[in-house]
Amino acid sequence: MSNKFLKNILLLLIVFLFFGTVNSLAAVKSVADTLAVTQAEHISTPSLFMVLPFVILLLMIATGPLFYKHFWERHYPKISIVLGAFVVIYYLAILKNDHILMHTFAEYISFIALLGSLFVASGGILIKVDKESTPMLNVIFLLFGAVISNIIGTTGASMLLIRPFIKMNRERLRPYHIIFFIFIVSNVGGALTPIGDPPLFLGYLSGVPFFWVIDNVWFIWIPALLMILFVFYIFDKLNKTEYEKIEYSNKIEFKGLKNLGYLVIIILAVFIDPVVIPWVPKLPFGLPFGIREIIMFGVIYLSYKGADTEILKANEFDFEPIKEVAYLFIGIFATMVPALELIAHEANVLGDKLNAGVFYWATGSLSAVLDNTPTYMNFLSAAMGKYSLLVTEKAQVAHFVSVDQIYLQAISVAAVFFGAITYIGNGPNFMVKSISERAGIKMPSFFTYMIKYSIVILIPIYAIIWLIFFYGKG
Amino acid sequence: MNTIKEALDKKSDGLCYGNRVILPFKASFLKVIIEDDIITDFSTSSKGIYIREDENYTDLYFLEIKDLKESITKYENIKMVVVEKGDDIFNIDNHKKIALYIGEKHNVKIEKTDDDILFIE
Repeated sequence: MSNKFLKNILLLLIVFLFFGTVNSLAAVKSVADTLAVTQAEHISTPSLFMVLPFVILLLMIATGPLFYKHFWERHYPKISIVLGAFVVIYYLAILKNDHILMHTFAEYISFIALLGSLFVASGGILIKVDKESTPMLNVIFLLFGAVISNIIGTTGASMLLIRPFIKMNRERLRPYHIIFFIFIVSNVGGALTPIGDPPLFLGYLSGVPFFWVIDNVWFIWIPALLMILFVFYIFDKLNKTEYEKIEYSNKIEFKGLKNLGYLVIIILAVFIDPVVIPWVPKLPFGLPFGIREIIMFGVIYLSYKGADTEILKANEFDFEPIKEVAYLFIGIFATMVPALELIAHEANVLGDKLNAGVFYWATGSLSAVLDNTPTYMNFLSAAMGKYSLLVTEKAQVAHFVSVDQIYLQAISVAAVFFGAITYIGNGPNFMVKSISERAGIKMPSFFTYMIKYSIVILIPIYAIIWLIFFYGKG
Repeated sequence: MNTIKEALDKKSDGLCYGNRVILPFKASFLKVIIEDDIITDFSTSSKGIYIREDENYTDLYFLEIKDLKESITKYENIKMVVVEKGDDIFNIDNHKKIALYIGEKHNVKIEKTDDDILFIE
């Protein structure tokens, strides 16, 4: 890990911890006590102009890697932090609302701890499949990837499985192989658990029960996945690339067993939350993280330090992708605070005009072009706003889930599924693209990916899902 | 002057200064992959790379990168498909896949890519 990156992250942590400790000591409240905070603290609605940093940041995330790549690569950490700081200062100095900032920062720490630990632990695992690919074997592999992405996250599953998938298909590899991998393993597959995809994890952190997702989404997940796999099978069956037959050992090799243990620790750690398990102690001084996050950061350190260097070399392991997520999301988490509050307020006003179909398509279309995590939070906030509930209050989220399921179903499914529409819809999409390009595969451009693949293949499937499950409901 | 084979057999190292890599052999270049950029344009107007041959070595200048040591981290590499000078470039069996690892003190390790490294030509 580069020293500069470590120093910057440490500096950020110190700044936030300082604010957190000072504020918490003054108020004698910890972050977990936010459940007790009443709505009276939220009487000040932020100015509409305060949504601008959020809009600017999301637009830059979408356009930076495409139109001003080198400027973006050099300056995105500064841009993200400055835009985030703008909102933080506004809330502290003008609205005098530090509670919501600390709540958001605690969510950020949990979010980055999970993503970072999954990323580093899976980077120390190498799977080698020396088997000739067939369309059916590819379908089974992708289906396995979809299931596993609910256990180790779409990020972990993508990191772990993209290399063996490319290797299996190396003699007849076409860009569509990678694209369907992005559709299935990096996105749609991970719709069943909060570990699966970042928006669902943020939902869990906000108060959506862990097993709510699988209980309420599996019957939508299965048909969507089967339809995409069926289209892939047709594509792969029509691939008549001629290649020289080579000998395959039909062996599957797995290296890095120790890191598999670390993945299990991460998954178990997700449940170590005072809200989920009452006897889990809260840390003193209002620290914006708990035992769960300490375990996850510990896993990052131990799994990297103890990893086999040959595996890291074979995986071309680099901290850059997770560094990018850490920097960008600190800006996203900070800047989305006013957007969340304003959307909740507006949804309350619009009320019955917003049905499940509106939430499905609105969450989906924004998740496709913006990051799906803030989009999920914005629309969850909007749906809760219909009932005058606040997404920033865990108890109110839990109450909302028990009142009406259809909106959260639509938002959860759309945020995860539509993340596959563009390269920027979900974090792992770019990682898979980058790994494939580093392997020498020429991937379609941003627009070709959409026009030739995602819009043509996914939108009709998502329209069928809408017709069956959300049309005219809510 | 080494051939690619001799350089690999002797485990000869290259050098790296800023955006310049010096390889201890001459070769015909077909594809260079650095980070997620796939370079196949080796003409003088190429935006990604400038190649200069000296009598005893080959210079590669990566035009979009300031400092290779900073950009290419410990476990990353620069991959390339090269052909020995004088060999039939059209015979795919002559295509050699190599990986460069940027080390300390300007050192560049040159390795033939093994089965573990993902590299589709």
